Amino acid sequence: MPPTTLRKLTGVFLRIGNTTFGGGLPTIAALQRELVEQKRWLSMEDYALAFSLARITPGTNVIAFCAAAGARIMGLRGALAATLAETAPSAVLAVLMTQGYETWRGNAWVMAGVAGTIAAVAGMMWASVWYIVRPYVGGIRSALRGALIALSAFFAFWKLGLGPVTVIGLAAVVGLVWKEPAGKGPLPLEIEL
Amino acid sequence: MNLVLLYLLLLKAVSTSFSGLASLPVVRNDFVVKRHLLTDRQLNTAIVAGQTGPGPNGLYLVSVGYFAAGLPGAAAGLVALITPSFVIIPLMSWIGRYARIPRIRSAIHAVILASAGLLMAASIPLARDAATGPLAAAILVISFLVLASTRVETWWVMLGAAVAGLAAKLFA
Repeated sequence: MPPTTLRKLTGVFLRIGNTTFGGGLPTIAALQRELVEQKRWLSMEDYALAFSLARITPGTNVIAFCAAAGARIMGLRGALAATLAETAPSAVLAVLMTQGYETWRGNAWVMAGVAGTIAAVAGMMWASVWYIVRPYVGGIRSALRGALIALSAFFAFWKLGLGPVTVIGLAAVVGLVWKEPAGKGPLPLEIEL
Repeated sequence: MNLVLLYLLLLKAVSTSFSGLASLPVVRNDFVVKRHLLTDRQLNTAIVAGQTGPGPNGLYLVSVGYFAAGLPGAAAGLVALITPSFVIIPLMSWIGRYARIPRIRSAIHAVILASAGLLMAASIPLARDAATGPLAAAILVISFLVLASTRVETWWVMLGAAVAGLAAKLFA
């Protein structure tokens, strides 16, 4: 017997998923407070497993987390409701903003503002690179291995013209053959139950 | 554009990435470089539209779908964005224990690190398109420093950048 109804489950993901700014982690933290501590629909163990596995699931981590939490609470329909509630309203807003940018493209004032935000987007992408790499900058061996893999991928794509999927596949093979250093290196994929 | 093809191209991008913007190299390769469905400027606009509102990272794919095929394209982008997430349901049942195996974990980490290298490479042409003058270059660097070193929400950085752009026009 599920601990709640589909309507209530959808309501929680709608509210938190579409009103929390700042990306995945703040949303997952807010969902933990709501689903685990307040409503008790999800156990702490299931939350921790969903959180950890969301980081190794392809795509956006927070959407994978919603699918896992929804599935644990109400099965496949819970997963579907949670992911759609988390993404659909924000997607509509993204389309409206895209239309807005296109409509106002001829307005010099609007475009001055947009040009500023587009420059910020490039900075944001560099920050994303740093966020991905940062957990590996712990021990010297871990950092060197991480830098070599990331830079090799960069040059394979940028200079050798290999496709991204090929680069990803090669990286997986390299990771299998060249094991990362054991020990205290900050590894972001620990299953913390 | 054929919606099924659009969905499959976006699905490929999402399925080979492990965070919101990590799909960008594949998207740019397919949509800008190979098929010329979008320009770098449109891709940048899509990222701005996807990042300035609430909701998960990766929503820029909805805008990419919109640029490629209008509203049906946006819907294809949304479905492509959420489809790979369902992989986590079987993962929850049985892969938790495999993720502990050092060699498997090592391979996953290598893929994540390679995605950082790919994202850096994909960001270069976009940064070139964005850095149209000294002000834009300054906004780019300051945004990077603020986002990389503080917990300020992306939305505030976008707003600050927009205000800086408007102020520059006002005083030009």
